[in-house]
Amino acid sequence: MKTKIAIILFLHISGIIIPALGQELSPKEIIRKANERFNGEKTSISLMAMTIVRPTWERTLEFKNWNSGSDLALTLITAPARDNGQTFLKRENEMWNWNPTISRLIKLPPSMMSQGWMGSDYTNDDILKESSVVNDYTHEMMGEEEFGGRLCYKIKMVAKEDAAVIWGHQVRWIDKKDFIFMKSELYDEDGYLVRTEIGKEIKMMDGRLIPTILELIPAEEENQKTIIEIREIQFNVPIQENFFSQQNMKRIR
Amino acid sequence: MNNIILAWRNLWRNRRRTLITSASVFFAVLFALFMRSLQLGSYDHMYKNVIESYTGYIQVQQKDFWEDKIVDNSFPYDLQLDQKILEDENVVATIPRFESFALASNGPQTKGVLVMGVDPEKEKNLSKVRDRMVKYRLTPEAIDRIKQDPGIPAKVKELTELFENSAYTNASRLQLDLGITDKDAPDIMPAVERHSHFENGAIQLGEPGVWVGDKLSEYLQLGIGDTIVLISQGYHASTAAGKYEIKGIVKLPLPDIDNKIVYLPLDICQGLFNAENNLTSLALAVNDNEDKAILETMNRIKSLLSPELRLMEWREMNEVMVSQMDADNKSGMIMIGILYLVIAFGVFGTVLMLTAERKREFGVLVAIGMQKKKLASIMTIEMLLIGFLGIISGSLIASAIILYGVDHPLVFKGEFAKMFEEYGMEPMMAFTGIDTYFIWQVVIVAMMVFLAIGYPVRKIFGMKVVNALKA
Repeated sequence: MKTKIAIILFLHISGIIIPALGQELSPKEIIRKANERFNGEKTSISLMAMTIVRPTWERTLEFKNWNSGSDLALTLITAPARDNGQTFLKRENEMWNWNPTISRLIKLPPSMMSQGWMGSDYTNDDILKESSVVNDYTHEMMGEEEFGGRLCYKIKMVAKEDAAVIWGHQVRWIDKKDFIFMKSELYDEDGYLVRTEIGKEIKMMDGRLIPTILELIPAEEENQKTIIEIREIQFNVPIQENFFSQQNMKRIR
Repeated sequence: MNNIILAWRNLWRNRRRTLITSASVFFAVLFALFMRSLQLGSYDHMYKNVIESYTGYIQVQQKDFWEDKIVDNSFPYDLQLDQKILEDENVVATIPRFESFALASNGPQTKGVLVMGVDPEKEKNLSKVRDRMVKYRLTPEAIDRIKQDPGIPAKVKELTELFENSAYTNASRLQLDLGITDKDAPDIMPAVERHSHFENGAIQLGEPGVWVGDKLSEYLQLGIGDTIVLISQGYHASTAAGKYEIKGIVKLPLPDIDNKIVYLPLDICQGLFNAENNLTSLALAVNDNEDKAILETMNRIKSLLSPELRLMEWREMNEVMVSQMDADNKSGMIMIGILYLVIAFGVFGTVLMLTAERKREFGVLVAIGMQKKKLASIMTIEMLLIGFLGIISGSLIASAIILYGVDHPLVFKGEFAKMFEEYGMEPMMAFTGIDTYFIWQVVIVAMMVFLAIGYPVRKIFGMKVVNALKA
């Protein structure tokens, strides 16, 4: 009996059992849980499609992604045929690009960091500088709101002053039941909305419930957005660290 | 009539005085015309360079291209429209182009470049880029060959070192830099040309290959046969990347463009940017390039275009240069204004002296019964004659110099030429032919003479005969 209580107490303190007991979670805790669901696994291999929507045209890219933690990533473009074979390697804060048509390996310079990746609304900075939504912000509960047919927590996150983040504050909608980021509004330091990110089509993929479509809508540009669709994803596939190498960028098909 | 005869005789009574006075007018006219011609001529020359090697007089563009020069703002090359534009009476040819920016690299050397997709055949009608191919180059090997040639004078050999690695598009510039006189040219030049000959290949539609600017090739350390790598963003966010063999080197008269231009065959360039059959601009070669004719042509063509397209005139496309020239023109006018002021006082000074000198003479004439009015009109005619003498001789000599100068622009060489090039200008000054500016300079000088006449006339009317006789 004593040990039982001790275990329950321990779980209590470590915060794992709290939702199960139906008690109120702190906003920070909610964000942490949602973030773990999103980035929690060690490695992943995925097939994705990215559609760039512009007022007069649209373009879809397909690519394959290998991820290990948040520091290592390798991306191979598979379609359209013109761009097939191009690879991108992310190692911590550096990004490299291999282009088979010119057989050149390019390290993306700092001047290109604010440019969109492959012409999308995703900047290279977005990919490289993922700040910690848990540690770099202070969190404040704003209430509950329905979004996409799900009841969500609405949490305002204000960047800490010494944190190296590009956003002034964010407002996030997190599904109450499954802790999924449903919608994020990203504001700059002057409080202007810069971009909205929306998660859609929540599906079970390799044992995890995740939004399989992510829409990225810049606030300043009209009729413009980028849609990322996760077609297939596998989690926790063993990948060696040396897989994420410049040699492999040129080899991988 | 009598007055005129009297005035004429008066003039030659004191020849030296007359000549000095008209000489000051003569120099005023000569300098003003000379400066103006050189200035206007240099502007014309620069405009011509830019227009004929780059923009053309009129361009058809997609409506947003000028504000936002991205390949997404290109337009499909419509051959029917092309045909209709060609039917215009003032349009000689249409020159399709696809231009964009790219990163060019060769090993560790990288530079942002201007990529121009051109149809080499059609380009003949406007930029004549083929005439700009480098034909001679003083490479170290070429210099060695020249030095070993016994037929070439030592002075020329010495000069070659100063121009090591210089490229030339024509023999006359090479001759000038090497200090070879026209007299010696037939003996020396063939050998020099042979030693420094530079072989270029052609680019043509359908065949991958590029021409690069001389300065750019120097920077990237690329020569004929080497490979240049181009990376950029293509049409609708695709990746544009390609590697091409360098077939030739061009030397454009605009150093600012010469250090970043890469010419590709039009279709290859469209392929690189994933924009098959699209153009960023359609330049028009025109018959009559006077402002009025250009405007009329633009009005006629405007009606043929869809609302997606727009027309641009060379002035809009070269705004920076136009305002630069404008500022320079104004400062030139101020210089001439100062010149006029100095000369006006010179003329006035001579007139002042002349009046003082002849005070007694005037007094005597009035004392023996000459009317002051008649005396004043003789004086006026005298001054006018002096003025005309100066103006006519001045403009005659100036015309002679200018007419010679039109065909023989001042070309600088050596260090001075390098200085010009560093400022982004071609090291030469051209003259402009006889035009309306001529009349203006003459009119202004004539007005100065008129003003000067006022002084003696006033003096005559206000003269006290008794005082004048005592002078």
